[in-house]
Amino acid sequence: MVNVVVIALILFAVWTGWRVFRVDSMVRASFSLMLSFIAVGGVGVVLSMPYIGVATVFMMAVEMMAMAIFMVAFMMNPAGLNPMMMVHQHKFSVGAGVLAWLGLSTAVLSAELPSAPVTSEQRVVFDLGIELLGPSMLIFETAGVTLLATMVGAVILSSREGRYGHADHGSRPPGLAEGGDPAGRVPDEGGGHHHHHHGGH
Amino acid sequence: MSLLDRLAGRAPVPVFACIGPGMQAVTEHALLSPRLRRAASPREAAVLLRAGAIPERAAAAFGRVHDQLPHPRAVLRWDGQGDPADVITDAWVDLLNGADSDTDRRSDEPPNPWEGKGDHGQGGEGMMGGVPYGRPMAMTGDDIRDGLQLDAYTATVGPFAPMLPPGLTLEITLQGDVIISTSVTAPPFPQGDEASAPHLCAARLLRLLGLNAAAARVARGSSPRALWTRGAIPAGLGEAAKGEDVRARLSAWLAGQAGPYQAPRIGSMLPGLEWHEAMLVLNSYAPDALHRACAEEEEAA
Amino acid sequence: MIWLLLTVPVTLAVGVWLAATFDRLAPALWGARAGGPVAALRDGALLLRRQTVRTEAPDDLNRRLAPVVYLALAAIGLSVVPVTHAAPIESPVGIVIWGSCEALTIIAVFLHGWSPNAPFPLIGAYRYAAIALPVMLPSMFVLIAAALPAESLSVTAIVESQREVWNVVRQPLGLALFLLVGLTLTQRGPFDFADGADIAGGTSAEDSGAGRALWQLARLAMLTAFSAMAAALFLGGPLGPGLPGPVWLWLKTAAIMALTVLLGHGIARTTPGRMLTLLWIVALPVSFLHLAVSGGLALW
Repeated sequence: MVNVVVIALILFAVWTGWRVFRVDSMVRASFSLMLSFIAVGGVGVVLSMPYIGVATVFMMAVEMMAMAIFMVAFMMNPAGLNPMMMVHQHKFSVGAGVLAWLGLSTAVLSAELPSAPVTSEQRVVFDLGIELLGPSMLIFETAGVTLLATMVGAVILSSREGRYGHADHGSRPPGLAEGGDPAGRVPDEGGGHHHHHHGGH
Repeated sequence: MSLLDRLAGRAPVPVFACIGPGMQAVTEHALLSPRLRRAASPREAAVLLRAGAIPERAAAAFGRVHDQLPHPRAVLRWDGQGDPADVITDAWVDLLNGADSDTDRRSDEPPNPWEGKGDHGQGGEGMMGGVPYGRPMAMTGDDIRDGLQLDAYTATVGPFAPMLPPGLTLEITLQGDVIISTSVTAPPFPQGDEASAPHLCAARLLRLLGLNAAAARVARGSSPRALWTRGAIPAGLGEAAKGEDVRARLSAWLAGQAGPYQAPRIGSMLPGLEWHEAMLVLNSYAPDALHRACAEEEEAA
Repeated sequence: MIWLLLTVPVTLAVGVWLAATFDRLAPALWGARAGGPVAALRDGALLLRRQTVRTEAPDDLNRRLAPVVYLALAAIGLSVVPVTHAAPIESPVGIVIWGSCEALTIIAVFLHGWSPNAPFPLIGAYRYAAIALPVMLPSMFVLIAAALPAESLSVTAIVESQREVWNVVRQPLGLALFLLVGLTLTQRGPFDFADGADIAGGTSAEDSGAGRALWQLARLAMLTAFSAMAAALFLGGPLGPGLPGPVWLWLKTAAIMALTVLLGHGIARTTPGRMLTLLWIVALPVSFLHLAVSGGLALW
C-alpha cells in the first residue's frame, strides 16, 4: 500500500514537473512546480517524515505564490497570450539533466542506506528538532534572523514610503555633502530594458 | 413550481442600475429596498434597471452592460416614479416561471478576428507586443514613481461603472493598480442637487470602505455605526488645501454639511494614486462638483 | 474512525448555513436591515437558477479548480481539529497542516481572480496576494505560540494542554491576531482585499450562477474551518463540563464565527498600501512580541 502511494506521488511529481516546461502561462508553470513539490512533500509524509513533508507544502505554497507574482510582473507574455517556448539552451539542458540524473542515481544505488524502520511511537518531530537545533542552533538562528532582516529590508526598499522618502518624489538618498548630489549610483538615462526577446526563467 | 424556484422567487433580486441624468438620488434610494440587492457587477445581477433616459452617447455602453447579465435576465425602464421594487420582483418571478430572457443587444463577436500575422498566427511579433488574437498586449513603460519599468495597461472605464459617478467615462492607464494617466472621455451626467446631498455622498464613500451596513444607514439619514470609519482613510489623501483631505470631506458630510463645490480636474486628480485611493478621492467630491469640473475643462479645451 | 470522518461534511454543511445566516443577521447589530434563517437558502437558490457565464478566453482549468481547491482546503483544515479526544485526521503535526491550508488558500483566491481574464478580478487577485502573504507571518507566530504550552504540534495535544486554563487566557493577543488571519482567509471586511466595491466585486466580479454559488459556499466553509480551529487553539475545543465534546466544539465554533462575521461587517477597510504598511510595521512586531511573551510564560 505504502509503495503504491509513494510511486503514485512520485509519478505525479514528475508529471507536474514536466508540465512546468510545457504550459505557456507563467502562472500555470509556477503552480505546476508547486504541485510537484507538494507531491514530494506527500512522499515525505508517507515515509514517516510528517513535519518535513507538511512543511514543504506550506513553504512551497508561499514561495510559488511569490514566484508567480514576480513571473507575471517581470516576464513578457505572462499568461501565454502569445504562444511561447518555455525552454531554451536545449542541448545544454538535456546534457545537464541526463548528467544530474545519472549522478544522483549512482549515488542512490551505490550508497549503503541504513535500515532502521521507524516505529509509530518514535517522536520524529522531537528528534528532528534535536538534530536541527542541537549542535546547529547558532547557524539556524543566525540564518533565520538574517533572512527576516533581508525580507523586511526588501519591503522597506520597495515600498512607497521608501528608505529615502516617498517614492513619488524620487526616493533619492541624501547628498554626501550638504545640498550635494544624491549619494549612490546614478541610474542610466532611459534605464531598463525595453526589448526582451527571450522567455524562460 | 419547484422548491428551488419558490426559494429563488423570494430572494432579494440582485439589480444593476444604469443611471441616466437626474436619476442618481432616486435610484440610490430605491436600491435600499430590502427586496432588492445592489449588485456589485452586471454578472451578479438578474435585472438591469434603466433609470431615466440614457443619452445617445452611452447607448452602446448600455448594450454592453446589458449583454453581460447572465440568463435569465430582464431589463426594466424606470422613470423615477414610485417604488420599482414591485415591478422588479414581478419581472424576476416571471423569469422563474419561464418568461423569455432578454436577448443580446450587440453581436457576440470578438473585437478582432482570432488569427493574424506572426510565427504562430497569433498576430504578435516574437513573444511580446503586437496584438495577439486581436488583443493589444501590455508593454513596459516608465513607472511614474520610481525607475522600475512595468507593463502599462490602458482601458476605458464607465459610463456605468459602479465606482464612478454615472456617465463619467475615463480612459485610464494603469501600471499594476497605480494610475499613470487619465483622460475624461465623457463627463458625468448632470444629477441635480439631490444626488449631492451630504448623506448620499457619505454613503458612497462608506460603501468603498466596505461598510455596506453603515452606508445603508447613512443613506436613510441615520448616523453610521462602524469602527475606524475616518481612520481607514489615509491622512492627507486627496488634500486640496491644508487639512482639506478625503477624511475631512467625509467628516463634513457625516456632519450634514454640503460641499465642496469645486473639484480639481480629474486628469490631474488621479495620476500617481493606487486604484482604491483614486476611487476614494474621486468619490470625495459630490457628483455636481465633478460635473462642473468636467464641463469647465471641456470649455477650456 | 469512520464516524469521525463523517463529522467533517456535517460540520461543514451546518457551518456554511450558520455562517451565511450570521452574515445576514450581522447588519442588524450595525444598524441595517437583517435577513432571517431562510434568507441564505433563498440567495443560494437564486444563484443556482442562473447561468454561469464563461468570460472571453479564460484560464478554464484554474477557473474550475479555484473553488474546488478552496473548499477542499476548508475540509482538510477542519479535519485536523479534534472533535472529541481525536481529530478525523490525527497527525503529530496537525497545526502545520492547518498552516499549509492557510498558505494554499492564497493561491486558490489568486487563481479565482486570475482565471476570468478580466482587469478588475486580476487587480483583486494581486491585492489579495500582496496582503495575505504578509498575514502569513503573524499567523505562523500565533500558531507556534499556541503550540508552546503543549510542547507539541498536534492540535489534539494543544487542546489537551488547555484542560486547566484556556489559551485565550494565557495568550489573549494570540486570539486577536488569529482573528485577523481568519478575516483574511475568509475574505471578510477589513481584510477583504480580493472583493472591494471599488473594483466592482474584484475577484468575484465575473462570477455568476452556480459558479458564484460554489465560490461563496467555499468562503463560508473556510470560515467554518477557521472558527473550529480558533476554538480548538484558544477556547479548549471539545473540552467542557456536562455536554459531550462535539457539542462544546460546535458551540465554541459558532461563537468564534459570530465574532468574525460581526467584525467583518463593522470595521472599515483601508487602502491596500496602508494595510500593507500596518501589517509590516504593527502586526509583525506585535506578533513577534506575542511569541516572545508566550515563550517566556511557557518556560516559566
